[in-house]
Amino acid sequence: MSRYLIRRILRGLLTIFISVSLTFFIVRAMPSDPVSLMVSPQMTPEAQQAMIEAYGLDQPLLVQYGKFLVQLFQGNLGTSFSKHIPVTEYLLQRLPWTLMLLGAVIVLVLGIGIPVGVFAARHRGKWGDRVVSVMVTLGISVFIPFISFLLLYLFAFRFKVMPTGGAYTPPKGEGLSYVLDVAKHLVLPTVALAVTNLANAVMYTRNGMIDVLHEDYIRTAYSKGNNEKQVILHHALKNAMIPTVTVIGLQIGVMVGGAVVTETVFSWPGVGRLIYDAVNALDYPVLQGAFLLLAVAVVVMNLITDLVVAWLDPRIKLGGK
Amino acid sequence: MAAVVEFKNYSMGFKDDDGQVFNLLDQVSFQVVPGKALGIVGESGCGKSMTSLSMMRLLPSAAVVQGGEILFEGKNLLAMSDEEMSKIRGEKASIIFQEPMTALNPVLTIGKQIGEAIQLHHPEVSREEIQKRVIQALEEVGIPNPETRIHQYPHEFSGGMRQRVMIAMAMINHPALLIADEPTTALDVTVQAQILDLMKRLKGTGGLVMVTHNLGVVAEICEEVVVMYAGRAVERGTLKEVFDHPLHPYTKGLMASIPTMSSGKEPLHTIPGTVPTVYDFGPGCRFADRCEHCTQRCRQQSPPEKQVGEEHLVQCWLSFEGEENADA
Repeated sequence: MSRYLIRRILRGLLTIFISVSLTFFIVRAMPSDPVSLMVSPQMTPEAQQAMIEAYGLDQPLLVQYGKFLVQLFQGNLGTSFSKHIPVTEYLLQRLPWTLMLLGAVIVLVLGIGIPVGVFAARHRGKWGDRVVSVMVTLGISVFIPFISFLLLYLFAFRFKVMPTGGAYTPPKGEGLSYVLDVAKHLVLPTVALAVTNLANAVMYTRNGMIDVLHEDYIRTAYSKGNNEKQVILHHALKNAMIPTVTVIGLQIGVMVGGAVVTETVFSWPGVGRLIYDAVNALDYPVLQGAFLLLAVAVVVMNLITDLVVAWLDPRIKLGGK
Repeated sequence: MAAVVEFKNYSMGFKDDDGQVFNLLDQVSFQVVPGKALGIVGESGCGKSMTSLSMMRLLPSAAVVQGGEILFEGKNLLAMSDEEMSKIRGEKASIIFQEPMTALNPVLTIGKQIGEAIQLHHPEVSREEIQKRVIQALEEVGIPNPETRIHQYPHEFSGGMRQRVMIAMAMINHPALLIADEPTTALDVTVQAQILDLMKRLKGTGGLVMVTHNLGVVAEICEEVVVMYAGRAVERGTLKEVFDHPLHPYTKGLMASIPTMSSGKEPLHTIPGTVPTVYDFGPGCRFADRCEHCTQRCRQQSPPEKQVGEEHLVQCWLSFEGEENADA
């Protein structure tokens, strides 16, 4: 078990290293130059040169890469070109907002997705299942920005029950009223972001459940005197959750890196919005930091997912003897 | 003695996608008495498993009950609510399935799966007591180191060991009726013998129903026999009567197909043809197409059940010595 963990962590570190290296070169391959964006024409050539040197942009690419790696190992992600603050600080300001959004999405996906999936499986082929299946197909195929704009149009513009964007109404309040204000701002982006994940969770739970309910051991469970509820709860769910957990776990990893489109549409101050701003400003260090965060999140969530699946299914031997 | 379970003219069939029902089991009657074992024999597709699943009311969803009664300790199972039924399952009646490889839940420990049967019906029993009883049950079915085995999962057991686990699970509440649906079919021959020995030893005071296509198993374990063919109980009676004096051409054919030490090297007897499916049952005797004594009447009218001897019934148009119409 511990040997397995060490191996997984080492492999995760390698993945992260490759990912940050790729990011480093890809952002620099973008057909634009951050210097021309940062440097205003009013500056003297000397001042311009001093600024370029301060950010190390005058050095050859490989030297920049070497310096970047050294700083990375020291835990230093550099300084933002546009905000002039350390990237770590900038990311840490934004990360809680993304995690909050993510948490709300997970609660929605697990709290609604799994029960609805089980419901559809139990009523397979009947009208309840058909309605769910149509919704799932819509949810999976819908274009997320479309949902976002639709929600904004309906609830913020037409009915005026929801705020149009941001995470709170300035000026920042205090205590309970602040919490409620944030919660209100959280609703629309959460719904927009949850749609696809929710549809996936319902689909995987439903299909997993249908497969499992046909297994011989379900009949055995009934033969012992379990009623339908007990069979589903104690015998079917744990088996049926294995594919669902795998899919949701991987999706969560990707979402920590920020939901760029949704956060931008709703002006949610999370990591996704930060990536959008950083791309616009060609803010290399911030982009590198954000993608490092994404890589770490994906690797960690992969590991957690594998551990959870191994816990659900004792046939999976960690370490693969 | 009062029967544990009694089938009275029980009929069931299958509904296809268009809602049309095809009859499989037709007017099946027999009974199981405490302390005795009843063998249900027949080829694959004869309705043996459907008969045993009917007793537990665990039929697949496409199955439809068409008539008759199944009395369990005098009460009609078919009229019971789901709740009443779950109280009987696992407590008064239990079943051992054919496939030990798939009949156990892969994600729960053996101890939990066996203990659950106690927990469901006797919630007052403490966890320690449940564990004690589970260990004892595993010992009884011959599983070594039960103290460690209860914490293991099904994939850590061999096929024979899993079937022992299934038997321990079915027997844990000492049911009045134990149904074994081809319990040895999926196992190696040497393991089969061990499991049969075990079943014989555990037979006890309840009624046992042994569903099998293996006549040797019936001869070894059972006192009474029902021979099923295409959903009908074509011949039934005591083991001695049916095996020593088979009357129905199908039973005779089955008996003749068993190789014996003296049968030499000539080809074994076979019954020509195969069991018809529910879609091509005719109005007459369902065995007619494969029967060498088949007449015009056999094809048009289904044969009556006739009593021949004290504990021997047969459904056939042929005339037998000492017969009287059971319906008359």
